[in-house]
Amino acid sequence: MSGWHLTPAQAHDYAARRSDEITAMSVEAHLMHCAPCRSLLPADESWLADGWASLRDVVDRPRRGPVETVLASVGLRAETAKLLAATPRLYQAWLGSTVVVLAAALFAAYLLPRGSLMFFFLAPVVPLVGVALAYGRGGDPAHTLASVTPMAGQRLLFLRTCAVLVPALLLCTGAALLLPHTTTAWDAVFWLLPSLTLVAGSLLLGNWIHLSAASGIVGVLWLAVLGLVSLSGQTVPVGVFAPQAQACWGVALAVLAGMLLLRVRMA
Amino acid sequence: MKLFRRAHRRAPSYGPDSTDPVLLTAIAAGEAEALEILHRRHAPWLRARLNYRCSDHDQVDAALQETFLAVWKNAGSFTPRPGDTDAGAWLWTIAIRQLISQLRRRANRWISDIEAEPYETIGDASAEDTVLLNIEHGPLGAALHTLSPELRAAIQATVLDGLTVREAAQILQIPEGTVKTRVMRAKARLREALTS
Repeated sequence: MSGWHLTPAQAHDYAARRSDEITAMSVEAHLMHCAPCRSLLPADESWLADGWASLRDVVDRPRRGPVETVLASVGLRAETAKLLAATPRLYQAWLGSTVVVLAAALFAAYLLPRGSLMFFFLAPVVPLVGVALAYGRGGDPAHTLASVTPMAGQRLLFLRTCAVLVPALLLCTGAALLLPHTTTAWDAVFWLLPSLTLVAGSLLLGNWIHLSAASGIVGVLWLAVLGLVSLSGQTVPVGVFAPQAQACWGVALAVLAGMLLLRVRMA
Repeated sequence: MKLFRRAHRRAPSYGPDSTDPVLLTAIAAGEAEALEILHRRHAPWLRARLNYRCSDHDQVDAALQETFLAVWKNAGSFTPRPGDTDAGAWLWTIAIRQLISQLRRRANRWISDIEAEPYETIGDASAEDTVLLNIEHGPLGAALHTLSPELRAAIQATVLDGLTVREAAQILQIPEGTVKTRVMRAKARLREALTS
């Protein structure tokens, strides 16, 4: 811009706060645009290193993802939010296969006569499989490490279960809404109570045996009962979801949840 | 999931000799080393200049830390003027604002900090700028010498540092009205000295 540049002596005077005000103003106006003159200012290496060290402390902290930010803003504690946000990594494959299975069920519902039965069979099992994978030696490669932390045990199990149930229930509701003949909100959530009951049952059973095995047993039982009902000529296994049956499911869920709570309290 | 995770911007290649805009693009993409280069390049002169505004070294250092943290968070908002390879003016804007909020926080800790306005580059090559670049050698230097320290400080804060009247009032610790009258009086005095 102008031919004028700082002399090294001026630069040192300025940096040491020895310049008079007018010179300082002049130097500042020049420094704003002249990089070579800026580098004339003496740099205090140890000060720079200290400054960078404390900056790096903040900068190196992992950035929070969107899920974590939302969870934290809802009022969850930072650790809980991080745990919930990290859990889906454990069951990515399950999430993918859930989408595929639900898509297949929808496909069948549209193309085969009475095809929507397939969705009735599968919707309660899908969250169950997710729960089986979310905790325990089978699904979590770091389970041995996690099991010795203060987080481990019932608390971790329930947190992970919540992290699985929310996407599972959302996906199932979405699929149910896409079923043919969905007319009322009731049609979209008829599978919800059976599904939750199965999950609660497998959690309770998980107190005595491995959680994956417990979920497997409950899931197989469910499919077997439904299969037997449809084979025995009773062509309406849909009755399992009828309003009267829903009342039974509700009672069963309440009982199982109560027993779970009792176990947790006693433990 | 993997697809979503890799989606954020790729950092450009950069080195200790890269220009500021390149470094800031890299910082926006999450490169901590680029911030280190920028810190090494700009922290010394920013510190020297802030030291003329505030004699408390701790506060200056704290303001500088906040400045570079703000750069780390807002690097994406830097938009260089075409052909400009220097972020000095932008950094100074952030630094002086951080110093002001630092001083304000110290002064009244119980009042929650008001969020600062978004950062805009100050110091477009205005007429004032061109004159300022020649302060020492032009007639302006002599004219400034005739001003009282109070008037000079008011001119310095509003013209050279590019602060608003409100910000100038905060850093000089005088009421806004006083800043206005001092700037007005200083300009009149300078005009007189320069035209006579």
